[in-house]
Amino acid sequence: MDADSLAQVKPERPVGVAIVDDHPVVIDGVRAWLATEPRLTVLATGDDPDEVLRADPAADVILLDLRLHGRTVLDKLAELSAAGRRVVVYSEHSDPQTMLAALDAGAVAFLAKHEGREHCVATVLDAAADRPYVAPALAGAMVGDSRPDRPVLSDKEREALLLWFQSMSKASVARRMRISEHTVKQYVDRARIKYSRVGRPAATKAALLARAIEDGLIRPEEIGIYRSHAATDWPTP
Amino acid sequence: MSTEPGTAGTQTQHVPVPRTPELVMATRAGRAAAAVVRISDRGARIAVVTIALVWHLAIGLPAVLAARSQLAAPQVVVGAWLLVAALGGLAGAWLLRDAALPALPLAALLLAVDVAVFAAAGRSQLFGPANWVWGGLAWFFVVVLWRRPVHWLFALLAAHACTGVAAVVLYGATEAPDLARAIMALYATSSLPAAVFAGGATLTALSRDRAATAATTNAMVAEREAAEQARRDRRERLALVSAAAGEVLTELAQGRADPADPQVQRRCTHAAARLRRLIAESDDVPHPLLHELRAAADLAERNGLPIELVTIGTPPPLPVQVRRSLTDPLIAVLADARDWARLTVVSSSDEVVVALVTPDAAGPEANAPPAGDGDGRVEHRYERDGKIRWTQTRWHR
Repeated sequence: MDADSLAQVKPERPVGVAIVDDHPVVIDGVRAWLATEPRLTVLATGDDPDEVLRADPAADVILLDLRLHGRTVLDKLAELSAAGRRVVVYSEHSDPQTMLAALDAGAVAFLAKHEGREHCVATVLDAAADRPYVAPALAGAMVGDSRPDRPVLSDKEREALLLWFQSMSKASVARRMRISEHTVKQYVDRARIKYSRVGRPAATKAALLARAIEDGLIRPEEIGIYRSHAATDWPTP
Repeated sequence: MSTEPGTAGTQTQHVPVPRTPELVMATRAGRAAAAVVRISDRGARIAVVTIALVWHLAIGLPAVLAARSQLAAPQVVVGAWLLVAALGGLAGAWLLRDAALPALPLAALLLAVDVAVFAAAGRSQLFGPANWVWGGLAWFFVVVLWRRPVHWLFALLAAHACTGVAAVVLYGATEAPDLARAIMALYATSSLPAAVFAGGATLTALSRDRAATAATTNAMVAEREAAEQARRDRRERLALVSAAAGEVLTELAQGRADPADPQVQRRCTHAAARLRRLIAESDDVPHPLLHELRAAADLAERNGLPIELVTIGTPPPLPVQVRRSLTDPLIAVLADARDWARLTVVSSSDEVVVALVTPDAAGPEANAPPAGDGDGRVEHRYERDGKIRWTQTRWHR
């Protein structure tokens, strides 16, 4: 887990989480995962995003099952993201197309359901701070992306994504690439930030970009003329 | 703890590989069509070469020899006849052996012969049979231009006609009967070769189309059959896996199985892993590489290893030795993996990366897998870092 990013979350107020899923057993399971982290508190749950948000409009992060009552709710996801809601999508449909479509629609992060236990808390905390969190399944989808409008990733970013997808261990990726674990995370996160330029604009994407600039993950001048700068590597200390 | 890679091999011998399934299909169709074309127009080629040579020998030669004394320059006419006979024989042999002819130089040579013979025949033999280029030469045009565009032949015939008309005019044979004879001769001697040539070209094009269509249809039928076979296989496997999962769930629901029992947990893990793998199979026709890896994963699982197999992208067609170099090292490591294994395949049209990650159990450097056996551009890495054992093979176009 990435302690360096978690440490920066404001300690004053716990992050409010809403869980939207049509299976009560899943809600209970996710609630149990989140309960292990004192900085998180579950404010509302239910199977309808609108009702859940009416019940508690203050939720910082929405955990959304992409399939509700047999219907894929990509449109709802886009609507929430456009309104500035930080949505972490989690789904048992972890095929690359679905994951990339969720990013395009403005999801802050994507978790495959089987990755939940290990990555759920870190993902929600990072999402609350408008920071990217890339779980291995999403890394795989990004590295295998062959769409013509995909962002241009540098060789190092691709390699970091690929090895992270293969091994699920940033420590092992760091040893393999002979760089620090921190740098591995930077490569992976920078690749993810480049995806906030793909698909329709959303307030959440702008927030991710703004935070990435603030954190020094990406340079402001890289945003306007993205493609020409994207292929260059600039290792950070 | 960090260890050096146990083995790392890079081979650079290039294996030519078709790029996409569509291209493979198109290439196969193209090859079939070319073969059909070669076979189907062989008869026409034999006929054309035979007509040209027989006409030259049986009609041209006796006429030249009989009227030799009346020719203005008999040596030139006879020499040209010999030259065309030799050239026609060579070109015919060449054509029948399926070799490409240097059409333009040969056509130019024939036109030069045309002019020389008209000049050497003289006024008295202008329309006589000894002026053999009137009738015989057009068939040689057909021979040297075989399989070229039909308008090349028309151009050559037009040049031939111009030569004839120029000779008629220059010899002053502009009386109405002479002109009529010239036109008759040109028409009679050009129309048949042109018809044969155009007919041959049309038949060739038709048979090429038919062969390509047939090859494409066959490939599609084969593809559909493979897809149906794959679907049947999956249904059968789904039935098996569902039964196993249903059994353990039923036991849990009825309280006959204890969720705390490691044996029960293991059965659940296995059932879930197998279901997940089956759900992840989204390809209609399994790529041979994925098919082999799935078979290896199933085998490992039957031996009690929970294994995850995640594939991203569709691999391009790969020769069998490349597939073997990609899978063999991983299968060797899989054989003594314990606890869990994660097998991943990431493919694009010009790269395939296969990786196996298993826990690094303490112990001697057991079974460092063999490096690839030098067949194709497959790079192979193996390392262990105390936590995981990591085997990766990577093929680049």
